[in-house]
Amino acid sequence: MTRGTSGLRLLALFAFTLALGPVSPGQSLHIPPHEKIVLKNGLTVLLMEKHGVPLVDIFALVKTGAAADPAGQEGLASVTAGLLRKGTRTRTAQQFSADFDFIGGSFSAEAGADFTNINAEFLSKDLSRGLELFSDALLHPTFPQTETDKILAQSLDGVKSAKDEPQAVLRLYYNGYLYGTHPYGRPPDGDELSLKRIQRDAIVRFYETNYAPGNTILGVAGEFDPAEMRKKLEETLGAWTARTVGSNSVAAFPPAKGKKLLLIDKPDATQTYFAIGNIGTAANDPDRVAIRVVNTIFGGRFTSELNEALRVESGYTYGANSVFDSRRAPGPFGIFSFTKNETTTPAIDLALQVLEKLHKNGVTEEQLKSAKSYIKGQFPPTIETSSQLVRRIVVNEYYGLGDDEVNQLEARMDAVTPVIAKQIIEKHFPVDNLVFVLIGDASAIRLAVKKYADKMDERPVSDPGFWPPPGAQK
Amino acid sequence: MKKNRQFGTALLLLCVLGIAVPPVWAQSKEFPVSSHTLKNGMKVLVQPDHSIPNVALYIFYRIGSRNEHPGTTGLSHFFEHMMFNGAKKYGPGDLDKAMEANGASNNAYTSQNVTVYQDWFPRSALELIYDIEADRIRDLTFDPKKIASEREVVASERRLSVDNNNFGLLDEQLRATAFIAHTYQWPVVGWMSDIQSWTMEDLKHHFEMGYSPSNATMVVVGDVSPEEIFQLCEKYIEPIPSHAPPPPVTTIEPEQLGERRLVVHKPAELPLLMIGYHVPQTNNPDFYALNILRSVLFQGESSRMYQRLVDKDQLALDVSYDVDSAFDPTLGVITAQPRQGVDPPACEKAIYEELENVKSGLISDRELEKAKNNQLADFYREMRTINGRANTIGTYEVFMGDYNKLFDAAKSYSAVTKEDVQRVAKKYFGPNNRTVATLLPENEEKAKQ
Repeated sequence: MTRGTSGLRLLALFAFTLALGPVSPGQSLHIPPHEKIVLKNGLTVLLMEKHGVPLVDIFALVKTGAAADPAGQEGLASVTAGLLRKGTRTRTAQQFSADFDFIGGSFSAEAGADFTNINAEFLSKDLSRGLELFSDALLHPTFPQTETDKILAQSLDGVKSAKDEPQAVLRLYYNGYLYGTHPYGRPPDGDELSLKRIQRDAIVRFYETNYAPGNTILGVAGEFDPAEMRKKLEETLGAWTARTVGSNSVAAFPPAKGKKLLLIDKPDATQTYFAIGNIGTAANDPDRVAIRVVNTIFGGRFTSELNEALRVESGYTYGANSVFDSRRAPGPFGIFSFTKNETTTPAIDLALQVLEKLHKNGVTEEQLKSAKSYIKGQFPPTIETSSQLVRRIVVNEYYGLGDDEVNQLEARMDAVTPVIAKQIIEKHFPVDNLVFVLIGDASAIRLAVKKYADKMDERPVSDPGFWPPPGAQK
Repeated sequence: MKKNRQFGTALLLLCVLGIAVPPVWAQSKEFPVSSHTLKNGMKVLVQPDHSIPNVALYIFYRIGSRNEHPGTTGLSHFFEHMMFNGAKKYGPGDLDKAMEANGASNNAYTSQNVTVYQDWFPRSALELIYDIEADRIRDLTFDPKKIASEREVVASERRLSVDNNNFGLLDEQLRATAFIAHTYQWPVVGWMSDIQSWTMEDLKHHFEMGYSPSNATMVVVGDVSPEEIFQLCEKYIEPIPSHAPPPPVTTIEPEQLGERRLVVHKPAELPLLMIGYHVPQTNNPDFYALNILRSVLFQGESSRMYQRLVDKDQLALDVSYDVDSAFDPTLGVITAQPRQGVDPPACEKAIYEELENVKSGLISDRELEKAKNNQLADFYREMRTINGRANTIGTYEVFMGDYNKLFDAAKSYSAVTKEDVQRVAKKYFGPNNRTVATLLPENEEKAKQ
């Protein structure tokens, strides 16, 4: 059944909707109250008391991430984060795990492109213990050589394991092909060669250079007594020695001109996994709310134009979507999907047609109304738990967005009209200049996909690294 | 991704527990679930929570791949997809468009045992959701064009989750070998040749077999009152007549009398190892002791298996254990990814030695306490969202036979002793009861030759 023939049913549906009353969910979105304090050592602390479930969540954001990895040592920020729990001044890795697991707590640390985040969660009754363990890992890691060797070797095998699943590595190749040697092109967890080059000294230096109270925002949310929490934070994280650190700016990277295509050969693949796009937007882009509304219509939900065309109407794929991965500097934008080898070019052709149609027709008032309602209706469960809330307030603080990012979301969405949407499409959705990355059986699709680009590159998935090929790196 | 099924993660029954369960969850009056059975036999469970203006609504149908037959494997899952493709009032595409335009989203999953439909929405969309759910339970339609395109969607899903995913591929081979009689032997997504062969008659028959209201349980958690939900149910759901439930699955898997082994050869960067043991169904009394054993062996970086295989001996990249909620005796599966250059048998040997250790000696008091602390924390993690609660209440009702078992879980876990843990380790984790599946990278094998 095509979109065109369902008009009558849609009319009937709208009559029904009116009978039910206004479509608007009727709530106003807001971030619960919280306080911000800055400790003497420069650590910014956000505290949110939230009752209902006896858990406490901590989210520490160190304002340095994988984008700061030196070229050729990709994965440095990631292994540094991974080693925090692998030995401290007073605990071995095994003791740390035993102590944290005993209270049913969880601890994780990972490096994204812009920042590193270290999280912990434990029962409220274990506050003292949990906070002490968290601080121990953040403030006093010792990076034992044996644990360093272990994590580097494990990370290397992790890259190999990921390469067995095209979906798991598509974005790594895509970002690499899009950004080249720019920091956003580097694989955050490293690759088979870079991980072999990382020495313990570099890890210790990375930690000492970047893990500092003035370079960190720490959020705590959950069931606790605020006065007690402030006191305990002073006792633990207040003891973190102040250090000055350099700036972590990432230069903007210009969008690709023309069309180019990278084909990653995985001979046993029965489907082609593809990404199409260009450089997108920064996290603080003034157009971000309008972009979100338009992208919801284009590729951000089940009934999006992309999924309707590639899944619902044609059956080419199990799923198609589009994503703006917004960061401190403009991050990647991409259309993502997959389809069996035989329908590779029909599916990509269709995705491009949907994109061209978006530029030609823009979006209707009705589509905007639906998308805004969808975003509003789906939002509350994303700020339901203390773990969700703590992450959101800290990340919004980091990007300089603040609570208004949520509190003003509805008002900002309401301002998006079809005319504004048209401007947003022209400005932010690339159509003439596109980068294509495909993972699939090259012998089956190589000739057919040449038509998409003026320039085409090819690599086997089994070759070490992602893109650019290691030999080409400076 | 919607209307999907993820291997190994589907419907893992929440492990609930704690010696020191605070009173807030300990008593049903402080965790009020209202129950009402409609005249057509559908049971409805409601738990009000006004902390966010949203609602999670789950409908559990007691039908899954265990109710299928050779030739039409995967039909339950395909049918799940068809439940979104048009009924009498909401034609093809209308359901999703109406929901999303009103701020709602949906999904569904199929397991070997159940097919579960999930709606997440602002309370303003409450009546719309009931109108939609009633429409598709009462008057689902089958459009040949939709069947044809959805068949391709499911084939793509299979390529994604099995053909191009070593974990999915080996899991499928493992179950096909571990079960020789019971219907748990075929994949939920179905064999590719069956996906390509279902007919409209098969779909109609499946609908008649599995989708009687009396074969379903509805759970609603969120910004609602029990009274308004029961009224909506009376208006929209109760008039839908019931009919006979699916025929019982009578086949009992015979006891396994010796180890079974299988090998998959394919291009891969790393090998993979899965070991399956026949374990009892969810409502078996050993459920609680088995969960404590699972926690001691596999939960967290201080667990015995992680310490041995990942940390100390550095044999595996990761090691885990999964078991689906099940009506019939099922499979508990240990998965380990051997490190580069490690022969899978070395991983196997270490796993067996750790299993022997929990059989030959008792776990420590501290391990038992740690396992129970973890059950408690996991309980809160699951129960802190309206979505998690809807899933948990429904899972207890469907697989334990009564949602009230949720309130007994603390007691049931605290009753587990070190001797119980040893007993279940001995009873279920012996060599004769295991099936061992290994995926070997073809490229590496060629290089060795």
